[in-house]
Amino acid sequence: MSAEPNLAVDMRGISKQFPGVLANDHVDFSVRAGEIHALVGENGAGKSTLMNTLYGLIHPDSGEIHINGKQVHITGPRDAIALGIGMVHQHFMLIPVFSVGENIMLGREPVAGPGFYDRARARGAINELTKRYGLALDPDARMGDLPVGLQQRAEIVKVLYRGADILILDEPTGVLTPQESKELFRVLRDLVKSGKTIIFISHKLNEVLEISDRITVMRRGRVVGHLTTKKTNEEEIATMMVGRAVLLRVEKKPATPGAVVMRVENVTANSDQGVPALKGVSFELRRGEILGIAGVEGNGQSELMEVLAGTRRATGGHVLLGERDITTYDARTERDAGVAFIPEDRRGAGLVLSFSIAENTILGRERSPKFSWRELVLKLVAIREWARRLVKEFDVRTPSIDVAARNLSGGNQQKVIVAREIGSDPKVLLAAQPTRGVDIGAIEFIHRRIVKERDEGAAVLLVSAELDEVRSLSDRIAVMYEGRIVSIESPDTPEERLGLLMTGGGQAREGAA
Amino acid sequence: MPLGSVLFAFVVGALILVVTGANPLDAYSGLLCGGLGLGCTQGENPALELSNTIVFTIPLITTGVAVALPFRAGLFNIGAEGQMLAGAVACTAIGIKFADLPTIVLLPMVLLGGMAAGALWAGIAGVLKATVGAHEVVTTIMLNYVAQWLIRFLIVGGPLELTSGTSKSHPIGAGARLATLLPSDNTLTVFGLPASVYRVHVGLFIALAAAAVFAFLLWRTSFGYEIRAVGQSQKAARYAGVSVRRTIILTMLIAGAFSGLAGAIQISGIDHNLTDKYFSDTTGFDAIAVALLGLGSATGIVLAALLFGALHSGGAIMQSDAGISSNLVLVLQALILFSIAANFIGAIRRGLPFGRGVTPTLPTELPPAAGLMSEAAAPPPEKT
Amino acid sequence: MSALGDILHLLLTANLWQAALAAAVLLLLPALGGVISERSGVVNIAMEGMMLTGAFFSVVADLAWHNPWLATLVAIIAGGLMATIHAVVSIQFRADQIVSGIAINIFAAGLTVFLINRIYGLQDVGHVGPTEGLPYIDVHGLDQIPFFGQVLFNQNVVVYIALIVLVATHIILFRTRLGLRIRAVGEHPQAADTAGLNVFAVRYSAVITSGLLSGLSGAFLAIGISNTFVPNMTDGRGYIALAAMIFGKWTPFGAFIACLIFGVGQAVYDNNSIIHVSPYLLSMLPYILTLVVLAGVVGRSTPPAADGLPYVPGSE
Repeated sequence: MSAEPNLAVDMRGISKQFPGVLANDHVDFSVRAGEIHALVGENGAGKSTLMNTLYGLIHPDSGEIHINGKQVHITGPRDAIALGIGMVHQHFMLIPVFSVGENIMLGREPVAGPGFYDRARARGAINELTKRYGLALDPDARMGDLPVGLQQRAEIVKVLYRGADILILDEPTGVLTPQESKELFRVLRDLVKSGKTIIFISHKLNEVLEISDRITVMRRGRVVGHLTTKKTNEEEIATMMVGRAVLLRVEKKPATPGAVVMRVENVTANSDQGVPALKGVSFELRRGEILGIAGVEGNGQSELMEVLAGTRRATGGHVLLGERDITTYDARTERDAGVAFIPEDRRGAGLVLSFSIAENTILGRERSPKFSWRELVLKLVAIREWARRLVKEFDVRTPSIDVAARNLSGGNQQKVIVAREIGSDPKVLLAAQPTRGVDIGAIEFIHRRIVKERDEGAAVLLVSAELDEVRSLSDRIAVMYEGRIVSIESPDTPEERLGLLMTGGGQAREGAA
Repeated sequence: MPLGSVLFAFVVGALILVVTGANPLDAYSGLLCGGLGLGCTQGENPALELSNTIVFTIPLITTGVAVALPFRAGLFNIGAEGQMLAGAVACTAIGIKFADLPTIVLLPMVLLGGMAAGALWAGIAGVLKATVGAHEVVTTIMLNYVAQWLIRFLIVGGPLELTSGTSKSHPIGAGARLATLLPSDNTLTVFGLPASVYRVHVGLFIALAAAAVFAFLLWRTSFGYEIRAVGQSQKAARYAGVSVRRTIILTMLIAGAFSGLAGAIQISGIDHNLTDKYFSDTTGFDAIAVALLGLGSATGIVLAALLFGALHSGGAIMQSDAGISSNLVLVLQALILFSIAANFIGAIRRGLPFGRGVTPTLPTELPPAAGLMSEAAAPPPEKT
Repeated sequence: MSALGDILHLLLTANLWQAALAAAVLLLLPALGGVISERSGVVNIAMEGMMLTGAFFSVVADLAWHNPWLATLVAIIAGGLMATIHAVVSIQFRADQIVSGIAINIFAAGLTVFLINRIYGLQDVGHVGPTEGLPYIDVHGLDQIPFFGQVLFNQNVVVYIALIVLVATHIILFRTRLGLRIRAVGEHPQAADTAGLNVFAVRYSAVITSGLLSGLSGAFLAIGISNTFVPNMTDGRGYIALAAMIFGKWTPFGAFIACLIFGVGQAVYDNNSIIHVSPYLLSMLPYILTLVVLAGVVGRSTPPAADGLPYVPGSE
């Protein structure tokens, strides 16, 4: 069978088995030259595996790859680069301590004399490229000092410098503001005009509809649909992705806020790098409400949650829980006082991955009288009973409570954390990115549980990078920008206004500190 | 997996022997005879060889625990040797100073003194790690050298020396000595030899108890839970409200106490004084292999200690019978370590990991490897 | 007070600094090896064992062929072979790099004594003749410069080599394409891989280089200074070099300064006739000094980001 002449990429029958998962199951995937092709699917659907295969980072167990009509054998990124394939990874492949120029040149460095790195020629080459594609960048800046938007731009220039004609972008908008996303889309359209082909991996359907020409949908390692963007809509794609009709809205009753439970007064704190991340944050959190914090990542949301959870020290201000000043409480005493925390780094901070589910359900509470005798000897029977109860109540899909957390899917891992934190009947629930990277089934479940907590009288503080999630769950929205809460808005505020506030524009409405 | 590693070491060891012109059969039959009392050709007494093996095994169990416990917390205690020497010094010093006290007072004193000295020695490394982030591998190695020179200082012309030029200390008092299992009575004959040559002492039970304490502490207590949490993910432990610093320091103190106990038991049960053999002692280094080979479980540690006890006891016989340096035992030990760490056997079974596309199977038993001063090594930011 | 005065007086003599530089070089070579290896992301605590192996084989080769240059070459190769084991085990098999390093050190300690026994029976190794060691070289003219002449230009040939290696390491790491690649692999191997670099090849060469340098240092110790081999003669110098590397913040010149501090300590100790303390107590000094140095400085230095982490292709 000869390939259609205009196919830039044609992958046929790709299969890849990982221990316990068939990540790609006879996947056929083709991209026409000069189009923007979206690859969509839930987390774990096999999109990244497929693209890593195309880029040579993973070897498929079977299947063949054709590039521009010719069958090829890609043994590593070097081969992929030689074939004109470039990839912008979801987690940037950038070295923070290197300069922008060094990052871009790496692997194809211009040299002078006996192997000396030629800074001047590198700078010239980069300036030439950035001018041609309208992507301004300073080659001598230190990469780690640049904002994410510019880092991503450097990644794109890096790929172009290697002469790529086929660009793979893995979840490129995840870290961008709405404005930065718009700018990225402009760049992508320009690139297509100059003859490039683009593969765009995403799970954000509105963006996919906006930017792509055609769409391939994956579910559980298989391709379940080929769509033409103009002839489809969000509901159709979502249904294909999940395999059933999806509720795109969270159902909840109007909130009935009660007394103030937590009062945050002018709190300041530093980031890990020692620079001020919170510059005086104040707000009140009431019983029976969900306060959502909207903001571009890195504007102090993470630090705020950590201060409230007791894992980061405040440099000033006060946190009051009822009448008690809990500003200086550490993580353990915060928990004992009734503050539960779902951290954003699920695998790093929320779980000990090698521990069993049972062990993970007492993380942070291993010395409570319920689970240990005089804080010393663990009550194994009580722990197992507790774990079984949580697994059942929170629908954690696992053969047993002795399975290591590492072996659970992302959604089930998150359910274990949510179960542990909600299971302790907290007064205040701090939820940071509670549904990041989990499947839609788990998202729906976690959303329902958070709303249920609210209805049962807990105060919930929610941080999420997904503006949609903040808008659909929250009863009030606080917008954070550069370490301050710049405005408190109602949940039906238009997305454009929130986007503007998130990037420092717009007029504050109330409670801005 | 552990058995495969041992087998691998013996096969490669045999290759080394053949290449250097020695007969592996001679070497290994020497080891077998000296270690387990089997197949002796030159009239050795099997019972005596077994007894010697157990004598070597005792300190290996306790120091093995002293390496395995911090390992669970993500700490690499290379300093069991120095901690053991510190324990031996303390035991000797107390045993000489209070030589006249009765057993019921003095014996607990020397053992606890040894534990305290070992804990102090390890505690230095623990505190440096927890406060300024100095990597425990480097600090514990340095402390090993300091302890070795300390012993030289003490017994070569120093304050503990018996008489000038003897390079050994005064003997400890009778009340500081652990009883042997068989009476030290030359009229009693056991397996054809006077009972007094069998040196197995009640330290064996102390060592087994130490292994049991280790298992209980690790798996049945909330502190053990926290040790394991810190070892697997400092971040998760910190988010759970576990004080990483406190856990690191306490873990090192406990580990040092185990090592110190090993040193005290050696003096109290076997040697009764410090001698120049402690200059070149390697028990604390063997303990690393014991802990890794035993997969950090109490039973595993006891069995691995028995293996290395047998190798050491056998090494002496191999040297005298086959004329092959007992240092072959160190070579075998290193090969076992390579094999465990690299999981050669597993690698061979699943196809060698050359090139791409091989799925990573990191040994889950081992805490994540931490570079010198990497995330795991840096002092954790903590609230005060 | 007078002991302190004596030491201060000692610190002003060229003799002391000459000895200090030589002692520093003994540490500098493995420390540079460590810098290169760890900059590529492979933790290396095996310099001790590589040095010991180099020392042993230099003596064996020198006794057999009576040629110090050939013996030094043999030592370098021997160190490189030990490093190759570390590389295979920790890069290819992704073993814990500290366990692998310890195993190398135990292996070297055991193997050298085992081989003494195989080659020379149970006796001593024997001494290398005075003319068969690595020579001292006076740079004519320059050695007449007061003070500095004696310190810098009246040294063993290895000292000159080491100083050249020092400068070369600095230039290669921070000025050349190769250095950029080594550092990239040590900071972010995934980024290096996706940029088309061969992570394994870079790490292999870096680790093996550390073995070559450690082997050279071993030869210097055995046939440059001691003229014989005794079991465990490196006495922890490989570990002290490791501490010097950390103290020097993973930079060649930083490590050199740290080595000089240790070298001065060693030289004072070697000239201790005027200090009336037990030699055994004094022997603890380098190790205690290392502890103090680590305690004082470590928290403020950052290793390469991927130091100690095995690279698994396709992982994030």
